[in-house]
Amino acid sequence: MAAETQTPTANVLPPPRTEVGVIGWMHANLFSSRLNSALTVVSGALLLLILWYGSRWIFGTADWTVVKTVGGLFLIGSYNTELACPGQNCFWRPQGSLLMVTALLGMIWGIMGGGVARRIAILTAVVAALFAFLPYSLERMGWDVRILLLANVPATAIGWALARYTPLGQAKWAVVWGVAAFLITLVLLRGVPNVPGLQPVSVVYWGGLTLNLLLAVGGISLSLPIGIALALGRRSNLPVVKLLCVAFIEIFRGVPLITLLFMSQTLVPLAFPEDFPQNSLFRAAVVITMFSSAYMAENIRGGLQALHPGQAEAARALGLPGWQTTMLISLPQAIRNVIPAIVGQFIALFKDTSLVYIIGMVDIVEMGRVFISRPEYLGSAREMFVFLAIVFWVFTYGMSYISRRIENHLGVGQR
Amino acid sequence: MQNPETTLPSILTYQGIPVWRHAQIIQWVAQIASAILVVALVMWFFGNMAFAIEDREIPFGFSFLGREYQTPIGEHVLPYKSSDSFLYALVVAATNTLVVAVIGVILATLLGIFIGVCRLSTNWIVSKLATVYIEFFRNVPLLIQLFFWFYIILALPRVREGYVILDGLYVNNAGISFPGPSASGTMPALVWLALVVAAVVVGVFLHHRLVRREEEIGRPSYPFVLGCVATVGIAAIAWLVLSGIFGDAPFSISMPAPEGRFGRIDGGVTVRAGMLVLLVGLVIYTSSFIAEIVRAGIQSVGRGQTEAARALGLSPMNTLRQGTFPQALRVIIPPWISQCLNLTKNSSLGGVVGYTDLTNVAITMTQTAPAINIFLMLMAAYLAMSLTWSLIGNLYNRRIGFTG
Repeated sequence: MAAETQTPTANVLPPPRTEVGVIGWMHANLFSSRLNSALTVVSGALLLLILWYGSRWIFGTADWTVVKTVGGLFLIGSYNTELACPGQNCFWRPQGSLLMVTALLGMIWGIMGGGVARRIAILTAVVAALFAFLPYSLERMGWDVRILLLANVPATAIGWALARYTPLGQAKWAVVWGVAAFLITLVLLRGVPNVPGLQPVSVVYWGGLTLNLLLAVGGISLSLPIGIALALGRRSNLPVVKLLCVAFIEIFRGVPLITLLFMSQTLVPLAFPEDFPQNSLFRAAVVITMFSSAYMAENIRGGLQALHPGQAEAARALGLPGWQTTMLISLPQAIRNVIPAIVGQFIALFKDTSLVYIIGMVDIVEMGRVFISRPEYLGSAREMFVFLAIVFWVFTYGMSYISRRIENHLGVGQR
Repeated sequence: MQNPETTLPSILTYQGIPVWRHAQIIQWVAQIASAILVVALVMWFFGNMAFAIEDREIPFGFSFLGREYQTPIGEHVLPYKSSDSFLYALVVAATNTLVVAVIGVILATLLGIFIGVCRLSTNWIVSKLATVYIEFFRNVPLLIQLFFWFYIILALPRVREGYVILDGLYVNNAGISFPGPSASGTMPALVWLALVVAAVVVGVFLHHRLVRREEEIGRPSYPFVLGCVATVGIAAIAWLVLSGIFGDAPFSISMPAPEGRFGRIDGGVTVRAGMLVLLVGLVIYTSSFIAEIVRAGIQSVGRGQTEAARALGLSPMNTLRQGTFPQALRVIIPPWISQCLNLTKNSSLGGVVGYTDLTNVAITMTQTAPAINIFLMLMAAYLAMSLTWSLIGNLYNRRIGFTG
């Protein structure tokens, strides 16, 4: 009976050549209809034009000397200049914090055991080590600095080994080490009075990519908890708390960040007594964090609103008290659902750190602008900004890539 | 009759939950405490500020508004001269911001919809090009993009040697000039514009009626075509009648032409360099976000909806226009509103590319006027703009019955 219903194999024809392989793919994706073919021709021509002129500019007409010359200044700004750090080589201080970061990445790799964490850790270590071999001189960059740069590879390995073979291989120790590394970095960069080798460096001289990253890391790690608190406050049924949270969120969301940053430098000092310790960078960091928190609060509120009320009701029915319902049931699900929005806000915060030029800080963008205004590099503006765009893009695209991996891992949209 | 034993000393003989564990009491105490804390903090800030104003003789007060500003404003849409008052200068600057915001939102939305639809295209090259566009432009800070476009425009030739594309389209480092309408007189122009507004109202009304008729009788009544015909017809008749009465058409087309020794371009409409750079930067940046919003919105509509529309015999275009898009709008509008707000706020970066927007003018003003008052007005202006956008969004949400 089976033989009757089965078609003899000899009669099975292969699928038409227009449906499989390269031709089939092209037929399905490029030439499925007359309109589609026309689109392919037009967009293909556009693509070729972009590639042709783009590559001709990148490899031919563009003059990349300005990017090569500025080199290490992009990373630390004027931190290691004679003005900032008289009579000393202070380059090892940002170096030391970089070592702590690579060790942290190694540790995360050890805990997560491969995947994205491994790729990021190895990539960071290798890129950092490659800087030691760069032909152009980082300003006042001696052998000690080059060795410190190379040390990023063993630092990653040590972090990994610690996570794998000691009881430190837990997420909470990675968090502890991350917070410690951030605080040590701040102390290291700021310096300690009366300690040889650690002379204080004014925050005015902090700059370059280091400044962007410091503001971003500080802002990101604080704006999430503050944003959660504000979102919960806005949804609370206590009228006064709700009013305060709504006012905070709407005021900070309604005003441009550069207006806020400018106010932080002109008005905020007036709001404190004259002898109050003041620090312009700290004020800017607070403003950026609060601005981002207001947006974060709205994202998380969106997640909480999308949550089915049955979740909270079930938790209450099981006898969980209110705060446990929030912390264990509502918030984790709400945050999981809005991971793209949260990471989008992280990215926005990182991009917004480029606005600190308004308070006179020289971050990586302002550094580039300072250089292209010099007479010898007057024509190199496009090269400079293309380079800066790529630098930012690497970080921001990396962040959105990680967020997509986390989403897959948590099964968002599948449960 | 009330029992005195239960009313009067009830507080004293209270036997319920202890006060320190009573949820409502704790909540109220916490609320009052936080309110007192915030009020105290704000009072302390304002006290310090008031002390600083007294002690260091920091200028304060709104009397500066009537004074002459005496500083040029680089680019302005409204007429402005240096002898105008601070208040009027602020109005000019706010108009600059509003003009960029409105034009920018319109262009960014159109471009964003186009890119978003491209990304969903079944054509591989088109969808990949759109993806690259989105992933690049939304991941790079607007500041860098603005600088990039600024130096591109700066590298264009001067007005004298500028490009002339098609007769009447001038592109040079001072901006871009193209033919535009020029009013022959205030009176006929205003009357005609008023009649055009009336014509649009009539057209929309007619469209509504015809749509309803179409639904009632089940035969096509061409609401869109007839609405357009009515609008254009009324406007054209008004144009002819006004031309007859005043002896001159209400508007004529004015062609830009280089004038004078330094090659200034007169006539037509000129979008000057600062505004051009700001618009290009804002539109490209914001459109990459709007494209993602549009894509997510279209994808949020279930496939069954599209299939049902196709099964009913609607063309792909009509499926999108009448089936998918109206449903996608519910998902699109709230984040779109927040992008409009972002664009408005991001226009405050105009200062770095030479566009005198509200923030830029206000910051310049702080050198000659009390900074505290200027910033108060600045915050109020931006909050008003953001609340306007929220209001538009809320009204729309209410109209389509979107709850969320």
